[in-house]
Amino acid sequence: MKKINSIYIVDDDPITVFGIRKMLDSIDICDNISAHGNGKLALDDIKKSLDNKGQVPEIIFLDINMPIMDGWQFLEEFISLPLEKKVRINIVTSSIDPFDMKNWGLYKSKTHHIITFNNKPLKRDHLKEITKAA
Amino acid sequence: MENRSTLVRNYNYMLRGSQTLSSNYLIKQLPKATVFLDKRLQVVHASDSWIAYFDFSNDAVFGKNISELFGEISKDWKTVLNDCLKGKSSDVGVERYSDNENEEKWFEWSNIPWYDENENIIGIIIQTDDITTRVHNELKLEKLEVLLREKSEIAKIGSWEYDILNDEITWCDMTKTIHEVPLDYAPTIEKGIDFYKQGYSRNTISMAVNKAIENGTAWNEKLQIITAKGNEKWVIGAGKPIFKNEKLIGLIGTFQDVNDQVLSQTKTKENEHLLKTLIDHLPLNVFIKDKESRKVLVNKSECDYLGVKGPEEVLGKTDYDFYDEETARITREDDLYVMNSKTPILGEERGSIKKNGEAITFLTSKIPLIGDDGGAYGLVGISMDISNLKQKEEELRDLINVTSLQNKKLVNFAHIVSHNLRSHTANFSMLLDFLIHEKNEEEKKNIIGMLIDASDNLLETLENLNEVVAISTNTTLEKRPINLNEKIKTVQQNLAAFLLNNNAKIVNSITDEVYIKVVPAYIESILMNFVTNGVKYKDPERDPIITLSATSNNGYTILSIADNGMGIDLKKYGDKLFGMYKTFHDKKDSRGIGLYITKNQIEAMNGKVIACSEVGKGTTFNIYFNEKD
Repeated sequence: MKKINSIYIVDDDPITVFGIRKMLDSIDICDNISAHGNGKLALDDIKKSLDNKGQVPEIIFLDINMPIMDGWQFLEEFISLPLEKKVRINIVTSSIDPFDMKNWGLYKSKTHHIITFNNKPLKRDHLKEITKAA
Repeated sequence: MENRSTLVRNYNYMLRGSQTLSSNYLIKQLPKATVFLDKRLQVVHASDSWIAYFDFSNDAVFGKNISELFGEISKDWKTVLNDCLKGKSSDVGVERYSDNENEEKWFEWSNIPWYDENENIIGIIIQTDDITTRVHNELKLEKLEVLLREKSEIAKIGSWEYDILNDEITWCDMTKTIHEVPLDYAPTIEKGIDFYKQGYSRNTISMAVNKAIENGTAWNEKLQIITAKGNEKWVIGAGKPIFKNEKLIGLIGTFQDVNDQVLSQTKTKENEHLLKTLIDHLPLNVFIKDKESRKVLVNKSECDYLGVKGPEEVLGKTDYDFYDEETARITREDDLYVMNSKTPILGEERGSIKKNGEAITFLTSKIPLIGDDGGAYGLVGISMDISNLKQKEEELRDLINVTSLQNKKLVNFAHIVSHNLRSHTANFSMLLDFLIHEKNEEEKKNIIGMLIDASDNLLETLENLNEVVAISTNTTLEKRPINLNEKIKTVQQNLAAFLLNNNAKIVNSITDEVYIKVVPAYIESILMNFVTNGVKYKDPERDPIITLSATSNNGYTILSIADNGMGIDLKKYGDKLFGMYKTFHDKKDSRGIGLYITKNQIEAMNGKVIACSEVGKGTTFNIYFNEKD
């Protein structure tokens, strides 16, 4: 299987970060996995990479409820970045709020990036399914 | 007429045998217009008056035939003249004649045979009388009679006459027609009175007739009769006495059928009465305004509403007399719109303020009154005071707002609960799955450590949720007046170390007299939370200053807590500021629960909280404490 260059995990819950990282390691798909505590930290990192002509993540695991900048605010800014290459964004949340489902539909239609909506807890097989370059 | 014939006979006698005289001075001077004709009907003698009357010239008269003089004479007269020559004395006749100026003249003639001494008829003596004026008068009278008859028929006015001496009453045909009796009916005064309806009508007419006979007074009464055919009719009976030599000799009067008028008047009156009753008792304010917006009609409701005793206090006045300037200006604009555009305003809501400051909400309709010339000459207004309804509506809306707010809160809370519990259980499930498959002992320990963390987090979450539920459901907590400054002092003491460490200063401008109605346990927590927040999110560039002040407005005491901290972009975070588990600053100890609980506590006391903030300047929280309930 072709390896992924870079994966971001954006979540303020260390246990979730630990879980996703552990499962990704077990399928040995990527050597460059980084975790970010909220949307702003992740966005700042991506912007910095862009400025330095560095690497932009191919896959982002995105939580919604986070301090400072939540998942939606992150998406709002991310889709406006000048990225030609498609990025796969996997929303991972424990929310069952219909508002979040609606928002997902909204953002999906607004961007060329691939956005999926996944409820916690993530299972290994499902994770394998959604960890592919877009 | 008798006299005139005698006179002619005298002339005759005088002139007997004098026919040869060419000019008889006696005849010439006769005062009456007289002409003597011979058997051939040629003029032999003529009085000067005769010649003058017909405007003939002297020499052109004598020896001329009568037909020549008058042009054509009527057949009747010709026959009469011929008969006269045969010795037949005749009556008088009337002849028309046009003089030289073509003016119409009427004369009356009388002729007798002219005898000589041997009693032979030798001609005719004719006397003429100018009756032009009389004829004209007669014509006029005839015309008048015709006119009167027609008038009486059209107006249904009959007449009657009563001769007291002979106790005789005569009715004209119209009077009989009104009574519905045959034209040969012979009335008496008693029968006449009996036609009047028993009761008021008959009493009135009896008295009127009696008084007229006794005192010579006239009468004019609107009364009812029952006709010969049994129909009830309204009539106007009028009568007046006639005197001769200052002695009462009779009564004369008119009798008019006014049944149709009276009935239609009665109908109109009934309609008017109905309309007035209706307008007056409508539970709506009804008024009519003229072109200048002056009230020309108001009903009882409008009077009551304006607080006046009767319409006379309102009529002729405008809204400027009853309402404040602004209200009156708006109603005048409405009036002008309705009258100029000729379109009604229907059921529109208008607020107005009376002179005494009372504010009212109306539902108003204005309909233009259009005159025959197509222009509006005023308007009809109907308005209903819906202030009570309006207030109820507002209360209802408040209630709906509260309910929907609570509903929203409930849904929000349900999501929080489900989200928070789900995130923990998801972690448990995931970690346990790892644990089962994990071979490495070291990693197993690591996972168990995380399970303990997850368990602690769950416990804490439950405690927080519990706290929120307690606030929202604890309705037994009584509000009581608390001295605000005392509470502030307590909080200040409790936070003394924290404030000192942060170099924070509290500036309090609240006076010691300010009391607020609150749940004591909540106020401490609320103050604590806002003050700590203000210090916690201080601007790194400056020492924190918390400014406290209080105002009172509309049943609320408003406590302002202002800080000079880093501020928050409310455009971005405004809707989440008081949300649960929402943190906006990268601070280690922000849990995102404080403001959520504080807001719940304020709302549980029927208050509210409003924030304003500017990034880099600071944040102000205005807390509204409800003093009423």
